[in-house]
Amino acid sequence: MPKIIFLIISLFSLSVQAAWEQPELGFKLSPLSKPVDAPNFVLNDMDEYEYDFSEYRGKVVLLNFWATWCPPCKREMPSMQRVYQNHQGDDFTVLAINQMEDGDRIFSFTGGLELRPTFNILLDPDSQVSQAYNVRGLPTTYLIDKKGKIRYRAVGGREFDHPEVEKIIQGLMNE
Amino acid sequence: MIPLHLLFRYSIFASLCLSGIVNAGNSSVHKNEQSGLLTFTSEDDGFSIELIQLLPDFVHAVYAKHDFPQAEIDRINSYCVFGSIIKNTSQQQLAYRVSDWSYIDAQGKKYPVKTKTQWLQEWQKAGIKFSWTLLPDQGVFEVGDWQQGFTTIKLPKESHFDLIYRWTLDGVAHSGTFKDLSCAPEDIKQQ
Repeated sequence: MPKIIFLIISLFSLSVQAAWEQPELGFKLSPLSKPVDAPNFVLNDMDEYEYDFSEYRGKVVLLNFWATWCPPCKREMPSMQRVYQNHQGDDFTVLAINQMEDGDRIFSFTGGLELRPTFNILLDPDSQVSQAYNVRGLPTTYLIDKKGKIRYRAVGGREFDHPEVEKIIQGLMNE
Repeated sequence: MIPLHLLFRYSIFASLCLSGIVNAGNSSVHKNEQSGLLTFTSEDDGFSIELIQLLPDFVHAVYAKHDFPQAEIDRINSYCVFGSIIKNTSQQQLAYRVSDWSYIDAQGKKYPVKTKTQWLQEWQKAGIKFSWTLLPDQGVFEVGDWQQGFTTIKLPKESHFDLIYRWTLDGVAHSGTFKDLSCAPEDIKQQ
């Protein structure tokens, strides 16, 4: 009996979840009128390997703040993987900073995605990095230029492999 | 002779007119045939808001997953909880503050909408560090930006109320009223 109740709740939760997934993902990134320095950070990935953001100078970075429970985060992730794959070998990378979740949950989540991410996923266990970037809601994404300046921002889910976004990334790489 | 309920509606609009541009909005209600739950959508000048009824079981599942104490889960579940999605549908910069929003219960009493900051202060006292899932207190949305999160209204299940929400477009104040919203029932069997 408890299993049936759990199943009903799960199915129902999925239907509610589905309703949350309706808004279309756009492709518009907003340029910052005054680019600011991207705050530096040092975070671990799921294998406890340490990443120092300052070492990414010279690359354009798509910096994404996300969580597994956030429907638009899940929806935009395949497009992040595609844009990452499109620029293998270029001065471009994707960093996805998870908020307050553990490696096991993230690993299980990414395994269920249509396109498993191969870009780096870093853990922000107490949301200190998201606070430094003034992130108010998830997902929020920044596009950071090769000099470490925040140039574009997107609040809410996007299709990051859209030609318009690709054009912006290419422009920043060409600078 | 103007009927009383229209007089009441006009008086709300008149008071809103004092602070900016008022919108009746293009609102609609969608019923999920599977669950019976309602989704309320309103599109005003450059601002779209969608409120999705959430069952206590769903809210419980969300917070239990984040290891909330049962007392805190029960407390948020004593509110009427909606999934909310807000979007900038304009070609201008949009800003909002939940602290500017209010709701009017069936008796005509007006209350402020509880903000994320207020919830976080209470959660911190209960030793909870988790700070996501609720609709951000405020936001500055550029073209194409949108956000989602829970909105809580301190009313019993199945209550009816009006929501007054405000935003600015390039600094110009706007407001809208969502009429006759209703809270989700205690469980799906009551639908």
